[in-house]
Amino acid sequence: MMIPSARQKMTRYLLLLLVAIAFGAALYKVAHHPGAALFQMPANSAGEAQSGSARPEFHTDFASTQQNISTHAASLVELGDGRIRAFWFAGSHEGAPDVVIRTAVFDPVKNTWSPERSIVNRVDTERALLRYVKKIGNPVAQRAPDGKLWLYYVTVSLGGWGGSSITAVTSTDDGTTWSSPRRLITSPFINISTLIKGTPFLYSDGTMGLPEYHEFIGKFGELLRIDNSGRIIAKQRLSDGKSTLQPVVLITSPQRALVLMRRSGNSPSRVISTATDDAGQHWSKTMPTALDNPDAAISGVVLPDGRMLVVLNNIEDGRAALSLVVSADGGVSWKTVYQLEEQRGQPTDPVHFGQISAELAKATDAGITDASAYGKSAQRNKCVAQHCDFEFSYPYLIQARNGDFDLVYTWNRSFIKHVRFNRAWLDQRMEKSKNAELH
Amino acid sequence: MPNFTDLTGLAGVASATAASMLLLPGIGKLSRPRRALLLGAVFVLMLMPFGAMPPAAYVRGMTGDLSITTLVLLCCAMLRPWCDDVALRDKRRLALLGLIALTSIAFYPMALGVGTYDPYQLGYGNLPFVVALLLIVLAAWLRGYALITLCIALGTLAWAVGWYESDNLWDYLIDPFAAIYALAAIMISAVRMLLKLRGRPH
Repeated sequence: MMIPSARQKMTRYLLLLLVAIAFGAALYKVAHHPGAALFQMPANSAGEAQSGSARPEFHTDFASTQQNISTHAASLVELGDGRIRAFWFAGSHEGAPDVVIRTAVFDPVKNTWSPERSIVNRVDTERALLRYVKKIGNPVAQRAPDGKLWLYYVTVSLGGWGGSSITAVTSTDDGTTWSSPRRLITSPFINISTLIKGTPFLYSDGTMGLPEYHEFIGKFGELLRIDNSGRIIAKQRLSDGKSTLQPVVLITSPQRALVLMRRSGNSPSRVISTATDDAGQHWSKTMPTALDNPDAAISGVVLPDGRMLVVLNNIEDGRAALSLVVSADGGVSWKTVYQLEEQRGQPTDPVHFGQISAELAKATDAGITDASAYGKSAQRNKCVAQHCDFEFSYPYLIQARNGDFDLVYTWNRSFIKHVRFNRAWLDQRMEKSKNAELH
Repeated sequence: MPNFTDLTGLAGVASATAASMLLLPGIGKLSRPRRALLLGAVFVLMLMPFGAMPPAAYVRGMTGDLSITTLVLLCCAMLRPWCDDVALRDKRRLALLGLIALTSIAFYPMALGVGTYDPYQLGYGNLPFVVALLLIVLAAWLRGYALITLCIALGTLAWAVGWYESDNLWDYLIDPFAAIYALAAIMISAVRMLLKLRGRPH
């Protein structure tokens, strides 16, 4: 038998010392890891949420103004002073290297949008991340309890959208200036395939919940829990397989939430749901809901009385119709309370499409002086050869602290349309649709 | 000014690129000092900013940050001409590769969506996972598997001090490149062993 030399013995005990230091440090880190937390109810749910006005109010306009450009994937966040900041991406076409994240602020008192501006682009992102970045996409924002604004957006270095990762920037002045970008590491396979669309939420300890989804090989929803320094502290899987994307978390109590997901692939054309009654420790088996879904994004909020308000393309095919639906039984059955857009069956040749789009733009905002320019932008983005498709998609709905609702969505891939309504208008619509057919 | 974690990530990629130079034909014929000079030069060049970013940043965009295990294996390859390589060539190295191969076969399919359970979530500060790793590393140390002990201990320490951007312990222990290398090495070893057995007189 070989007798170990003094050097070998020394090496062996140095190795043991390394193990002791490494695991001592690791166990210290684990001991200081935040524990499980309940969901925090949205600020509008404390019962005090009163609409800014008792008179029904419904207002539409465009948040974006750039013409002849591809515009998509808007999101909203309420600022500290009650104004609403919108984010979206725009460029020569989706996935182009010139795509930038743009923002504008809506003033609810004046009912006007500030001029839009670019805040994030691909080149600055890759320089800051010290990583090659091919394209950027979907932005989603969250205001943390400390007032810091977090903007998460998708970046791709490799392949298509399936190769996405999440990058974050922060602002301590509600979006006037932004920090340098930083990368979130969310996947073990060269950090690819994490995308975002759904509205973030808060946990009771102030940590942030970010719904995300994976679409490389499989397509499924997930949740990230992020602390106030941007560290990921937990990740959960909401579904598996190849058929669910873009989870939207509807919190009904500190323990209970319903998640609605866009269906994808060959599954039935229905919104897919999963639920938890232990603040996300466990999620139920996914099941199709009564809502149609043509493989398109959805958005929603929970009203203070527990009813769920959702915006979606409640159709099996295409994105030419957009509906506002409500459920009073936790998502089992739904009623359409308002048809936000309905252009199914309209002529699809470029001339008529352009004319109808121009009329729709004028109807959205009576202050538009040259509606034909909106028609031309829509033709640029939605017409191929002699066929055009109306598209009203990627809704993003929030309820402000005063109870008013703000909704943005992609309008023919050309503009971001904004709809603002109050609780009185919603109550009126609910009353009118009392006898509407259930989904 | 780059973040600390960007520097560590870029340095890892630059080290890997330098180590890959050892695969070039004719490198083995170079004297040790010349080989060291070549590896050092490639490492520095990968970190020199040409235009907007250093070349390592383009590679990092594609590969992400390399696990500590990959870096330890690369270090072994780079230091082989200077070190006593017995420890790197014997069955203990194969044991590390076997462990990586087995782990990756179970881990990656589940982490990429096969089934409802995601083992990657264990990497965000899960106590039972860290304790299980400690038991594995102690067993490896007792049995004299130095490379396994070194990779797990260094990876765990790097995670604990926040060496990389990732907050997930798995990213320090394993990456797809280590997995592919380990699977290939295990398969080659298995084939060699079979051929050896078949060549043996009955």
